[in-house]
Amino acid sequence: MKRNVNLWWNLAVVGIAVGLLAVVTAPAAAQIKVRFQTWHWGETPWVKSLEEFQKTFNQANPGIEVVRDDSRYADKESVFITQSQAKAAADIPHFSYRVIRQLADRGYLMDLTPFVEKEGGAKYLAQWDQAALEMCKYKGKLYCLPDDLNPLVLMYNTVHFKEAGLDPNKPPATWDQFLDYAKKLTKVDRWGVGIIGARQEGLFMRFNPWLWGAGGDYLTADGKRSSLDTPEALEGFKFYVELFTKHKLVPPGVIEQGAQEVRTQLAHGKVSMIITLPAAMGIVQAINPKINVREVMALAPVPVGKKKVTSAWFSMRVISAFTKNPEAAWKVYRTWHDRDSQMRNFKIAGVLSTRLDIKNSPELKNDKFAQVFAAQTPYVKWEPLLAEWPKIGDAMITAVQEALTGVKTPEQALKDAHAATNRALGL
Amino acid sequence: MSTGRSWHDRHLGPLFVLPATLMLVAVLVFPAAMTLRLSLTPEGGSGWTLTLIHYVKAFRDPILAQTFRNTFAFVALSLVGHLLLGLALALALSQALPGQTLFRLIALVPWTIPDVIAGIIFRWVFNPIHGSLNPLLQAIIPGFPPGFSWLSSPTLAFPSLIFANVWRGYPLVMVMLLAGLMAIPRELYEAAAVDGAGRLKRFLHVTLPGLSTIILIALALDMVWEFRRFALVLSMTGGGPGTLTEVLSTLVYKSYFQFFTFEYASAIAILMSVVLFILSLPYIILVGRER
Repeated sequence: MKRNVNLWWNLAVVGIAVGLLAVVTAPAAAQIKVRFQTWHWGETPWVKSLEEFQKTFNQANPGIEVVRDDSRYADKESVFITQSQAKAAADIPHFSYRVIRQLADRGYLMDLTPFVEKEGGAKYLAQWDQAALEMCKYKGKLYCLPDDLNPLVLMYNTVHFKEAGLDPNKPPATWDQFLDYAKKLTKVDRWGVGIIGARQEGLFMRFNPWLWGAGGDYLTADGKRSSLDTPEALEGFKFYVELFTKHKLVPPGVIEQGAQEVRTQLAHGKVSMIITLPAAMGIVQAINPKINVREVMALAPVPVGKKKVTSAWFSMRVISAFTKNPEAAWKVYRTWHDRDSQMRNFKIAGVLSTRLDIKNSPELKNDKFAQVFAAQTPYVKWEPLLAEWPKIGDAMITAVQEALTGVKTPEQALKDAHAATNRALGL
Repeated sequence: MSTGRSWHDRHLGPLFVLPATLMLVAVLVFPAAMTLRLSLTPEGGSGWTLTLIHYVKAFRDPILAQTFRNTFAFVALSLVGHLLLGLALALALSQALPGQTLFRLIALVPWTIPDVIAGIIFRWVFNPIHGSLNPLLQAIIPGFPPGFSWLSSPTLAFPSLIFANVWRGYPLVMVMLLAGLMAIPRELYEAAAVDGAGRLKRFLHVTLPGLSTIILIALALDMVWEFRRFALVLSMTGGGPGTLTEVLSTLVYKSYFQFFTFEYASAIAILMSVVLFILSLPYIILVGRER
C-alpha cells in the first residue's frame, strides 16, 4: 500500500515539474520568426550587408523577426535537405542556380507564383533581367527571384606587374599573353596565377572559362551526350592543369586550394592573378587590411582563347515548402529583393544585382570595378541545367584533380570524365 | 495473504524501460527502416513500389568498388596504427613514472578533439606553403624540398590521412589496453622473472596473453568506428586527389547530398551496414561468450 502511495506521489511531482517547465518555456509574445539562411553570415563584407538588412527589416516590421540561420558554404545543400526531410527547413535559404531544379523536384521549394501574382504578375517580374529570371522557372512554376549575378573576371596585382616589368594598364588579353605574363610574374616564393583544385562548387566557375574558351563543352548541343572527347575540350582542360603541372605557375598543394585559399594567396602577395567575382574585392581587403585593394588590384576580362566567354556566380534565395509562415516569409523575401536592399548589397558587398534598376543605376555605372564585371554579362555561359549535373560536375572535378596531381595524364583523366558523364546520362 | 507480485511489481519495470525503448526505436530502428525502404524505392519515387535497381547499380559501380577497397585499406591500416601506438603508450604509461597522471591526460587529448577540427588541423599541418610539417622536416633533414605537397600527392595523400587518423584514434585502444595491463597480476611477472624471463619474454608470454581478449575487443570496436569515419576524411582530403581517398561514408554523403540520389545513397548505406555487421560478428560472439 505504501509503495502505491509513493508511486502516485512521485508521478504527481513529475507532473507538476513538467507543467512548470511548459509555462517557463512558453513564448513570451507572438513574434513570427523568419529564418534567413546563408553561408555569408560569417564572411566579411557580405555579413555587413546582411546585418544591415536584418536590422532595417526588423525595425520596420515589428510583428516579424528575421533571424540568422547559419550554414557553411559546402554544407548548404546537406543542411537544407536534412532540415527539409524533417519538415523544419530554414524559411529562406540561399543556393546557387545549379541546384534549384533538383531541390524543386524533391518538393522542397515553394512555388512563388501566387505571391508574384498578388504583386502584379508580369509587371512585377519585369523588374528583373529576363534571362536570369528564366533560371528560376521550372516545370511551369516559379521557384525564385534572381538575386545576384556576378560574371567572373581576372583580378591582378598591379604592384607585381610593375615589378615584373609589365604594364598594369595592359592586362593579358589572350591565353598566350596570360601564359607569358604568368611566367614573368613567377619568382621565388611567388606564383603568377592562383587556380582552384579543391573539390568545391567554386572550381567550375574558375575552370569553365578555359574549357569553354577553347571551344569545348560538357555536352553536345542537344544535351544528350558528353562532348568532353573533343580536341577543343582537351585543349581547354590541358591549358588549365598545365598551368600547374607543366609551367609551374601555381603554388604547390593545388588541390587543397579553394576559392578562399586562392583569394588569401592574392591578398598576401603569394600569387599575382586570379579569376574571381566582384565580392572578392571586399573579401581580399578583409583578408589583408594592410593593402588598399582598390589601389593595388585591377580587373580585366578573362583572357580570350578561341571564344570570348566567362562563367558567373549566380545565386538565388528560395522559400522552403515547409515554411510555417508563408506570408511573413514572402514579406521578408520581397523586401530582400527590393531596390533598396539590392542597392545596399551592392554598395556594401559589391554584389551585382539582377534588378534592372540597379544594373542601370548611376551608382553602378560610375563604379569602375563594377563596370568591368557588368561588361562581361553578355559573355556569361551556364553549366547544363540537368538533374545529372552534380554527377557530371563531380566527374570533372575528379578529372581535374587527377590531372593536376599526376594520377592520370590529362588525356586519360578527361577520357574518364567523358565516360563518367555518359554514364551519368544513362548511356 | 497474497504471495503473487503486485500490479506495479509486474508492470513498473517494463514501464521504466519503455521511454528508452521508444527512444531507441525512434533514433535507430525507424531511420534504419526508412533507409532500407528508400534504398528499395525507384529514384524520385514514393509509396510502396519497390525495386532492387539501386543494388544492381551498386554492384556494377566501379567507383563504389574502389571505395570499398579504399575503406578496407583505411580501416586495416588505421587499426594497425592504433594498436601499435596504443599498445606502446599503454605500456609506457603503465610504468610508475613521475607525472604519470599528467602524461595519461596528455595522451588522451587527441580523443577529445572532434573529427572535423582534427581534419582541419592536419590540413594546415600538411599545407605545403603555410604548414608546420615542412619547416620541421627542413630543420631536421638538410635539403628537404620547400613546398613539398602531402595531400596533393597521389602517393602520400592516403598515408597522410592514415597518419592523422592514427593520431586521432589511438587513445581508445590505449585506454582499453592500459586498463587490461593494470588487471594482469604482478605475481605473473615476478614468477616469470624468477624463471629467468627477460623483458621481451615477459611481454610475449605474460603481457600479450593477458591482453589478448582486450586487444580483440578493442580492435573490433575500433574497426566499427573506423569503418564509419567521415568528418576527418571529408575535412582533410574530401576524398581526393580524384577518388584516391574516398571512403564509403563520404561516398554516401556525396551521393545523397551532392548528387541528390537519395535512393542510391541509401542502398550504399545498407550495403555498408551489412558489411559492418559481418565484420562485427567476431566481437558480438566474443562478448556473448564473455557473458
